[in-house]
Amino acid sequence: MQFTFLNIGILTWLTFLPLVGMLCIFFLPQKKSQLAKWITLGCTTIQLLLATIIYIKFDRTLAGVNSIEGMQFKEIFPWISINSTEWFGKISIQYFLGIDGLSVPMILLTAIISFIAVLASWKIEKSVKGYFSLFLLLNTGMFGVFVALDFFLFFIFWELMLLPMYFLIGVWGGERREYAAVKFFLYTLFGSVLILLVMLALYFSVTVTDAITGEKMHTFNMLAMMNPQNFENNSLLFGLHTYWRYIAFIALFIGFAIKLPLFPFHTWLPDAHVEAPTAISVILAGILLKMGGYGLVRIALPIFPDAAIHYVYPIAFLGFINIVYGALCAMAQKDFKKLIAYSSVSHMGIVVLGIAALNTQGMVGAMLQMFNHGTITAMLFVIVGVLYDRTHTRQISEFGGLMNKMPKYSALVVIAFFASLGLPGLSGFISEAFSFLGAFQTHQWLTIASTSGIVLTAAYMLWTFQRVYLGTLPEKWNSLQDISKRELLMLVPLAIIIIFLGIYPTPMLELMNTSVNALVEMVKVK
Amino acid sequence: MFLQLFDIIFYFFATVTLISAGIVVFSKNIVRSAFSLVFTFFGIAGLYVLLNADFVAVAQLFVYVGGILVLLLFAVMLTQKISNLQMKITTLHPIIAIILVASLIGVLCGIVRMNDWRIITISEIPQSTAQSIGKALITTHILPFEIISVILLVAIIGAAMLARKSEKKS
Amino acid sequence: MEFFSKADLIGTLPLLVVFGCSLLLLLLDALFKDAKKLVFSVGIIGMLTAIGCSLYTFPLSATAFSDMVLVGGYASFFNILFLTIGIIVFLLSYSYLEKQHYHLKEFYTLIVISISGMMLMASSADLIIIFLGIEIMSVCFYVLAGYKRIKVEGNEAALKYFLLGAFATGFLLYGIALIYGTMGTTNLIRISQNFDAFSHPLYLAGWGLLLIGFSFKIAAVPFHMWAPDVYEGSLTTVTALMSTGGKAAAFSSFILAFSIPLSMHNEKLMMVIAILSAASMLIGNVFGLAQKNIKRMLAYSSIAHAGYMLVGLASGTKLGMDGIIFYLISYSLTNLGAFGIISIFEKENGGNLSYEDYAGLGSRKPILAALLSLCMFSLVGIPPFAGFIGKYYLFASAVQSNLTWLAIIGVMTSLVSTYYYLRIVVYMYFRESQQSELIFVPSLALASVVLVSIGIFIFGIFPSLILNVIQNLL
Repeated sequence: MQFTFLNIGILTWLTFLPLVGMLCIFFLPQKKSQLAKWITLGCTTIQLLLATIIYIKFDRTLAGVNSIEGMQFKEIFPWISINSTEWFGKISIQYFLGIDGLSVPMILLTAIISFIAVLASWKIEKSVKGYFSLFLLLNTGMFGVFVALDFFLFFIFWELMLLPMYFLIGVWGGERREYAAVKFFLYTLFGSVLILLVMLALYFSVTVTDAITGEKMHTFNMLAMMNPQNFENNSLLFGLHTYWRYIAFIALFIGFAIKLPLFPFHTWLPDAHVEAPTAISVILAGILLKMGGYGLVRIALPIFPDAAIHYVYPIAFLGFINIVYGALCAMAQKDFKKLIAYSSVSHMGIVVLGIAALNTQGMVGAMLQMFNHGTITAMLFVIVGVLYDRTHTRQISEFGGLMNKMPKYSALVVIAFFASLGLPGLSGFISEAFSFLGAFQTHQWLTIASTSGIVLTAAYMLWTFQRVYLGTLPEKWNSLQDISKRELLMLVPLAIIIIFLGIYPTPMLELMNTSVNALVEMVKVK
Repeated sequence: MFLQLFDIIFYFFATVTLISAGIVVFSKNIVRSAFSLVFTFFGIAGLYVLLNADFVAVAQLFVYVGGILVLLLFAVMLTQKISNLQMKITTLHPIIAIILVASLIGVLCGIVRMNDWRIITISEIPQSTAQSIGKALITTHILPFEIISVILLVAIIGAAMLARKSEKKS
Repeated sequence: MEFFSKADLIGTLPLLVVFGCSLLLLLLDALFKDAKKLVFSVGIIGMLTAIGCSLYTFPLSATAFSDMVLVGGYASFFNILFLTIGIIVFLLSYSYLEKQHYHLKEFYTLIVISISGMMLMASSADLIIIFLGIEIMSVCFYVLAGYKRIKVEGNEAALKYFLLGAFATGFLLYGIALIYGTMGTTNLIRISQNFDAFSHPLYLAGWGLLLIGFSFKIAAVPFHMWAPDVYEGSLTTVTALMSTGGKAAAFSSFILAFSIPLSMHNEKLMMVIAILSAASMLIGNVFGLAQKNIKRMLAYSSIAHAGYMLVGLASGTKLGMDGIIFYLISYSLTNLGAFGIISIFEKENGGNLSYEDYAGLGSRKPILAALLSLCMFSLVGIPPFAGFIGKYYLFASAVQSNLTWLAIIGVMTSLVSTYYYLRIVVYMYFRESQQSELIFVPSLALASVVLVSIGIFIFGIFPSLILNVIQNLL
């Protein structure tokens, strides 16, 4: 399938449109810097439209994952190409974009969350031009990660997100922003460094034959790396169940686990979330965390299925720890935003558990959970942001009885909170149920233990709700305004998605089903 | 008989060189150091003669003993109050220095022993080296020969800079 | 008798032009009383002419003056790099010297002569030429390092550099002598044909001593002690020249010396280089963490970067050599940018060099701050900047030749380095400024810094542009 405009494919448009917007912002005169908001909003709106086109045109019967034929909206061009050298052979790095059932949900999510995040940034006053150009750069990086199928390209986009994120937290963040930004940067860079090393090792192990010249050459093509026949004899990662393959898998896993974030690599997350401005927290929780999970299913599992099977139990165990530990930490928080941050840790544990199930239900559950968690946490962070904008505090103990003062707002809060704790009829329930069902078949006891996380989640969510929204309103908040139209525009679409997918998840499921099945088959064969 | 005489002369020059070099380094009096340098250069020139490197030996005497050293002595003598100056000759990190120097000497000695040295017969040694050096300098080695002039130029500029009075701020 | 031919002269045209230019500058300095502008512009014109000549000789591939120097290809490529560095240093120095009141004579002449030394080093096919090139460059640097004569740091820098440099030269000469002793020639091409002698202990000892000499010049651990003091004590633009041109020249002849005679097939020697490399990366980056002065920080960073480049030499493959050359370009551009911005920002009498002084630069001078951040990110090695591609190439070469441990050390230490490079960025953007003084930004210097930054960006996104040229050089 192909879809082009001006001879440029839709995925390139989707990815690089923000850079065009960024250039426009650069040339804005200082007086009209407020226009930057509108430019950014325009970019994200167009992206939303493009994502909708992809959603409509996407062929749900093609699997993708490891077959080039199954990839849709493909774009392949040579990018860095160096002709034959005597010692090294041809070097070629491709500009290879394409999507399958694993990436489409993520693209939809990114488009939606980015749009919401622009609205959430509307009140930014400090150097507007800088903020929105970094925002657009970040946007390019995020879409790039989800559409790149060349490992090198993937890595470039992966790193590209780092810089704008660092500045967005560090310049526009809260009091301890400097600490949070540097911590975020170092943790993530440590992860990428591991990914880089594995990428190098893979590059030197995999060879493909050039279709035109018949020359043997190394490649960064992810799909080629998934085929065991492409591994050169006696190369570092040749064979199955070898020592080096295990090491490479662990390195890759840690690289993605940091982004996810998985215990014990999660400590950057609460700091970054708390210090970041609302919109950036929304993006962090809504999209960036998903990249870890996406990396696992897109790269780590298909390339190292043998190692994945070998380590499936420890991975599931880490997922379990994440669920319970995250929930317990959330319960202990006094800061509203930190509480939501830890609830993210807990919910991402479910994703890991679902992936570790290594069967269709579990994987589908995990993928769906990524999408649902993206929308639900985005909503939760906006909710906290709304409160913070009005009161400039996030201490739970300072609130109470907001329900009466802000009824419209509180209604939306109810939806988000109940979706987060997995109430049937809302989207969170479906994905959690799928994940646990899948995991139960492979890891019975761990899954049973993990379900205690649901109880804990219910406990802290309801407790928080009671403390903030029920009870008596402290006098100082007597003049609080209810939610504005702009804020409604952020929260209502998310609420609709949450309710819709809770009642009728099929549109999302059929998007990913074929691909997930193919992935599970691939892993099982080993 | 000839070889024995040769050996005696060699060891004589070698001892002169080493002892005087030791004095140069360890003496606390700069004038004494400067004077023992004469013997070091002289000893080295003697070693060159023994190696049949006649041109280098003469150059050594002309340039170092005749030129540089005299300049050095003038500098020492003409500088006020320098003859009574006590110089610091202590070593800052003796242990590290000993280890490093010992290992360097060890490696070099080991190589001297391990190497299978080629023995040259007397007939192989050219009678006079001056002619062939002169030829090489203007044929095969003309580029290095010319480039050395650039180094000298830079050195002169550097010396001039050091000697120049410090300019007042404009 | 013909000692040299016309072809020899044409082949070494860039070198001759630079030599001629330096003499002309010296004369102009002597003849005219106030020749600043004249010397400056004649120097730039001379170097541009030399770049033109290098482009002309680029397609040639020969040796000149009885196999003493290489002509074309590799030599011309590096000539262009050194001359470009020279021009940028000129542009940076003009206003900087004015500001610092150090408009002494011969400054520009010495820079041009030092560049001629670098050019010799990159085109040497004979150990003698390597030695002479190093000497020309180093003597110029000794003098340039001592330009702040009135200041204690200036004298310290010059003296320290001179003593240690002379010491290193001793090792270099000793090594050359031993190699000559075993081979009967100093010519690299002829040495490479004499395979029998390669396992000779004396020969290996010669290379070992040569290695020590080179390690001094590139400031690799444990021969790095001079770098921080010299970098700090010299004028900032001189430091820029030393850390870019000096390092690039040392590496260019290092590659020639170690790859033409293919002594790199000796595993012990490769192992020694690998250890030097690992030590440089570790010590450079760890000490970099503790610095408070940005010039000292960049000095330790340059030690670490010498370590990264040694990774390529230790791998001993074509990929590694190409990686070093690419890295040299990206590193030179980045460091020129960084030192250029520092020189713009530096106050009269050497103020404004600590991290605290950079607080709030992001809002005071947004363009300068953005460019400096770009340089820092390129030094860290984050895509899409040139530094990333360079590091990627070097570590790839290590993995390829089974030195994965070295690649891991490299990657981990560059992670450590992130912290101190980012500190500058943190200060510039996340801290409020204490000062309100106006910063004067000279247009020449700004233009050159912008140009350099564009280079970092373009080589980062389209590295094939230059890699395709590089890989045909050796």
